[in-house]
Amino acid sequence: MNKLYETLDVCLKEIDQGADVDTVLFSYPELADELRPILEASVKAKEMAVQAPSDDIVKRNRAKLLQHASQMREQKSAPNSRRVWTVPLRRALVTLMVVALLFVSSTNLVRAASTTLPGDSLYPVKRTWEDMSLFFTFDTTKREELELEYENERLDEVHELFTEGRSADVDFAGYVTRQSGTEWRVSGITVFVSAQTRVSDQQVDVGSAVQVRGKIQNNMSVMAESIQLLPQGSKLPEIEDNELESDDENEDENEGLNLPIVENAGTQSEGDAEQVYKADLSQPKSETVSGPVTSIVNKFMIVNGISMDISHAEINGVLKVGVSVQAEGYYDSNGVFIVTKVEVKNSSVNSENESNSNDDSKQDDGHADESDDD
Amino acid sequence: MSTTMIRGYTQAMSYDEQSALDGLRNLNAQSIGAVYDQYFPEVFRYVRYRLNNDTVAEDITSDVFVRLLEALEKKQGPRSNIKGWLIATASNVVNDHLRRMYRRPTETLSDSMEDKSTNIHAEVDLREQNHAVKAAYAQLTSDQQHVLALRFGQGYSLEETASYMKKKVNAVKALQFRALASLQRLIGEVSYE
Repeated sequence: MNKLYETLDVCLKEIDQGADVDTVLFSYPELADELRPILEASVKAKEMAVQAPSDDIVKRNRAKLLQHASQMREQKSAPNSRRVWTVPLRRALVTLMVVALLFVSSTNLVRAASTTLPGDSLYPVKRTWEDMSLFFTFDTTKREELELEYENERLDEVHELFTEGRSADVDFAGYVTRQSGTEWRVSGITVFVSAQTRVSDQQVDVGSAVQVRGKIQNNMSVMAESIQLLPQGSKLPEIEDNELESDDENEDENEGLNLPIVENAGTQSEGDAEQVYKADLSQPKSETVSGPVTSIVNKFMIVNGISMDISHAEINGVLKVGVSVQAEGYYDSNGVFIVTKVEVKNSSVNSENESNSNDDSKQDDGHADESDDD
Repeated sequence: MSTTMIRGYTQAMSYDEQSALDGLRNLNAQSIGAVYDQYFPEVFRYVRYRLNNDTVAEDITSDVFVRLLEALEKKQGPRSNIKGWLIATASNVVNDHLRRMYRRPTETLSDSMEDKSTNIHAEVDLREQNHAVKAAYAQLTSDQQHVLALRFGQGYSLEETASYMKKKVNAVKALQFRALASLQRLIGEVSYE
């Protein structure tokens, strides 16, 4: 077979060079019959050959190709910028959609979460909700109002935790109103600092705005894990903390923090009332307790077995264990007796009683200091 | 033997194929024009030989060059022998086209073989002859059509044909023999209609 193919190729070359079929086949008589039709076909195949394309065709398609190329060039450069633009936009849109969905679908959840406290399982939902509301409040004024509202909420949460006697990790912001050793006061909340507390590098003074993070303790205070100085101009609830103005009965001005009161529960007691933070608090009843002081610890004294907070009290006389006192005050929402005024009965005025032991009289005298004799 | 021969063809190119390729990859208009000028007529003639229709031949040839640009953009396509790539691609596109055409029941073989470019003043005999040959050619297998188009349509040598078809020279010899034999037989059959 190979010989046949070889011969064919040779013949084809000869025909190419101009020889005709018969002449070529002359050299291969034994294959002539077989090759003849083949060679004739090759001639016909050659005759089918096409002319070169016309100028029109060439020009037309050249232009087409170049145009396509320029389109490809455009597509190469454009997508990059479009991509840069659409990706963040698409992300923003997706976020918006998700949030809108959350808005719609989770209102019940949000409502349930709205009264939760740190430590509750739904508390994170409450915080996320707040964050989202803030994020989508574009008006600066409204946003500041909202921030203030949420900061107040943080303080409310701390007080509620105090009331319930629950321990939890808390995080709130406020103004430092007092610093005495390890005991500070931030926006009406007692905060204890320790060697472990991370405090801002910069000086934190009374009047500074700080962010407190810590744990609620048994004695209705917060053990601070960190106290960070907040930037100037932070909008924080301005709590009237009567510690600063024990003699000042003016409810409006706060020295050094010169700003309006956030919430005034309208107490009726004569002396300075500690600002209460709950809106619907019933007005505290003014009471007077008389008796001997059996112990004084920190800012608490025990009279007639009643633990009393004397941190705000106006003290007349020398207060020490063993003296008989008349304490005026009220029970606050936490059930703590807040003393507004302490009158030490065994003062120099009435030296007789000082020598007498007052342990016998356990009953509550109630009124004036005249009822010594029963 | 064939490898040396193939290299010979690429080096025979008058313009610098490598820099042309670089230009093509960058969609450089000048390079594109140069490659087009160099190869368009040849590819067109190949396609036209296979299809016997000017319009379709134009479209397909155009398409082949676009594919060249697109392949290079995707980091595919020829690394050296542009013509080889063009011919092979043209062959594939033509084969696809023919396959699609044969699936359509409405279009008959004789319609597709209509030669629009034939001079109306040509002798009747020749026209009939041409018609018969083309009709016969259309019935060959794609490989047979391909080898005939390359060897006799384009006039490529055995070796060059072998390189484009990615076959050994001996295989091409056998193929061209069988293709011609079939063509002749088919012409004979057609003539009897």
